[in-house]
Amino acid sequence: MTTSRMAHDVAIVAMGCTPFRDHWNSSADDLVVDAVDDCLKSLPGLSVGDIDAFWVGTQGTGLSGQVLARPLRLVGKPVTRVENYCATGSEAFRNAVFGVASGAYDVVMATGVEKLKDSSQSGLSAVLPPSDGTDIDWTAPAGFSLLGPAYQAAYGVGDRDMRSALTRVAVKNHANGALNERAQFRRPVTAEAVESAPRIAGQLGVLDCSGVSDGAAAAVIVRAEDAFDYTDKPVFLRGMSFVAGSGAGLATGGYDFTTFPEVVAAAEQAYTQAGVTDPATEISLAEVHDCFTPTEVVLMEDLGFSERGKAWRDILDGRYDLDGALPVNTDGGLKSFGHPIGATGLRMMFECFTQLRGEAGARQVPDAELAVVQNLGGQPGSSVAFVAVLGSEL
Amino acid sequence: MPEQNGIGAYAAYLPAYVLAGNSLDGAGPRAGGPARSVAAFDEDTVTMAVEALRGIAADTPAGHQILLATTNAPYEGKTSAGIVHEALGLDPGVAAADLRGHRAGATALDLVIRAGAAVALSDVRTTRPGAPDELAQGDAAAAFTAGDAAAVLLSRAGRTTEVLDRWRLSGERHDHVWDERFTAEILVASAKEAAHRALADAGLDTVDHVVVASSNARAAAALRRTFGGSGEDAEIERLTGYTGAAHPGLLLAATLDVALPGQTVLLLSAAEGADAFVLRVGGGVRTARGGRSVRDQLADRENLSYGRYLRWRGLLDVQGPARPAAPSPAAPPMHRRAAWKYRLEGALCDACGGITTPPGRVCASCGIAGDAGAPGKVSLRDRVATVVSVTRDRLTTMPEAEVAIVVADFEADGTRGGRLSAYATDVAPEAVVVGMKMRPTFRRLWTTDAIHNYFWKLRPWEATTNDD
Repeated sequence: MTTSRMAHDVAIVAMGCTPFRDHWNSSADDLVVDAVDDCLKSLPGLSVGDIDAFWVGTQGTGLSGQVLARPLRLVGKPVTRVENYCATGSEAFRNAVFGVASGAYDVVMATGVEKLKDSSQSGLSAVLPPSDGTDIDWTAPAGFSLLGPAYQAAYGVGDRDMRSALTRVAVKNHANGALNERAQFRRPVTAEAVESAPRIAGQLGVLDCSGVSDGAAAAVIVRAEDAFDYTDKPVFLRGMSFVAGSGAGLATGGYDFTTFPEVVAAAEQAYTQAGVTDPATEISLAEVHDCFTPTEVVLMEDLGFSERGKAWRDILDGRYDLDGALPVNTDGGLKSFGHPIGATGLRMMFECFTQLRGEAGARQVPDAELAVVQNLGGQPGSSVAFVAVLGSEL
Repeated sequence: MPEQNGIGAYAAYLPAYVLAGNSLDGAGPRAGGPARSVAAFDEDTVTMAVEALRGIAADTPAGHQILLATTNAPYEGKTSAGIVHEALGLDPGVAAADLRGHRAGATALDLVIRAGAAVALSDVRTTRPGAPDELAQGDAAAAFTAGDAAAVLLSRAGRTTEVLDRWRLSGERHDHVWDERFTAEILVASAKEAAHRALADAGLDTVDHVVVASSNARAAAALRRTFGGSGEDAEIERLTGYTGAAHPGLLLAATLDVALPGQTVLLLSAAEGADAFVLRVGGGVRTARGGRSVRDQLADRENLSYGRYLRWRGLLDVQGPARPAAPSPAAPPMHRRAAWKYRLEGALCDACGGITTPPGRVCASCGIAGDAGAPGKVSLRDRVATVVSVTRDRLTTMPEAEVAIVVADFEADGTRGGRLSAYATDVAPEAVVVGMKMRPTFRRLWTTDAIHNYFWKLRPWEATTNDD
């Protein structure tokens, strides 16, 4: 049963994250070393040699567990490389969790890394297997921009209102990122700047899109019962689910591009595990996959934070601002923190970890107790989705 | 086989664009001046052949031929008609072959009438920018199948004349042209001889319709005068340009659109010699046409700016986006999935009636695996689809500032769904909206690593039909 608790509860006892940047002078190897160092510096008694097993997520920066084993010069350690589109970092975390939850290991590390800026192109370009040539050559923004017109048609939202909601998402997340020294973009943007940016796909301009950057992140995970041996402020995993969509949304009729059914299913399972019955009021903050501004609009509904058809209004009302009722993407999100694919899921965890420990400084959400991490990949109609609930208490 | 040799069905395909001006300094078109028909950037002689043939040739019997006549085949060496064959879903027993050169169109018609072939005459013509005949060359396709409903052959005669008229070397894009005054004289002499002989064999002094197609405009004009043509063929030609190997077919189709049963037609093609056909219009001519009439298609075209035309043809090298070329397809998956790629056949679920696209073993609606030995299938290419959502890709690698991409659902007749993510074509991206009705059209998506990637796009439904 996907709603069952695991054999052992688990906790995150340390995390690290590099700044997400154009790291012209750092290789992927350098970035994973930096992230692991950043992670372990809060655990003086623990060295990489003390960690039993490792997972590394990367979408396209390297192959095999050696993506991690080689730069860290790990000796005799199991390292698993995972990939699950833009939810790759979360997938590394999820599998690492199972390593300790099963009892197989006592201490594990999840890492994620992506080196995107060695390409001469700004967008994401995956290398796909040979095909029959019948697929659309989608850009990521083109795929996600299908959400806007469908959402507007479904709920009768006018062009100006939709544009304002999208703009608000961008302005909010950049404002949050401006408070975060690790964020790729640290300058707030104005609504005018967002709306006058060059158009990329459909309604979306450059400032509706997440930052493309290099970065890495890491987490040390142990069984909950051992957590206080490592830190006074562990963060506990309360619920976690992953859904790989069937792709039916693009393969047959029925799907209407106003939702991510994969996210809805994953959230339901994670909330059940966590005992969350009313996410709109119980969740303190959320890190969600704002790859493009309309994605965040739809996710507010898929995660149960807003009623169907109302997220655009809640966004404009400031509900998801840093000082709103349910702050979303307090670290800047993909939008302003940047999106090195394999690292992103763990970057989201890093912010929740920081917030739940009360260490977020100017971005701190008061009394943060329960946080949602939501990470997805693919495109509307054919996506993979991760949702986790993290708590300062078990 | 019909008892009489002739034409059973015919169709013309004219692309959606017309170029009326070719001034590099922005001057407008000359009023009443010539205009040329322009294939869109995603069309070539194969795609236009498919569009022309798709309504009339599906039942071509094994043992017959499908022929593509053109001066501009997408591949050297590889047979273009084979791609047309696959897209039409013809019996593997139907042979596919190309006919090349300016005379190929007339030869193809001859092979319809005398050998029962199904043919497409299809051409895309270019000149150097600013060439004197730039607006006098054009793009079109016409298709014919054997039978006697549209026309019956009364007589024919041909002359082979070797003359250096229009030519190009492999890899060259535009024809070299010899002094037209010289070649006109040669072609007119050949054509007169062929026509007189054919008319004599038919026992006719005059005919009701004179149709003249020639690679040499001067020769065409002289022959129309000589045989007392009404000039309707020249009128069409002034709206399309000379459409190469397609030209005799295009002009014959335009004539069959208006000719009455029992009337006689002299079709005279003067290119690298001459071919003369004397035809009697068949009793079934009014129902022998596939698709829309030539004049209806001509009336619906969009005016194209010269800059856009030059970009489409690769005659102006425009900076595109910082984005890798779209990937080239691979031969084994193209072969395995030919039914999907070339004929837009989705999987039809035995269990729930759902349609899965691209086809797969397991139904996307109900999750039940179909019979691997006899998978259900359904062709979507002739159905109408409704736009579910739409975007405009402004980082397109196609030779346009932006292209619309849609997700659209096919109308179902007792079946559930059938969904296609597709490029929209022959429509301004901003005009594509949720709820719009569209219909599949066979196009070339892109060419990468010397492989042309063909698949179906969607174009506005209104542009494809006169139906309500």
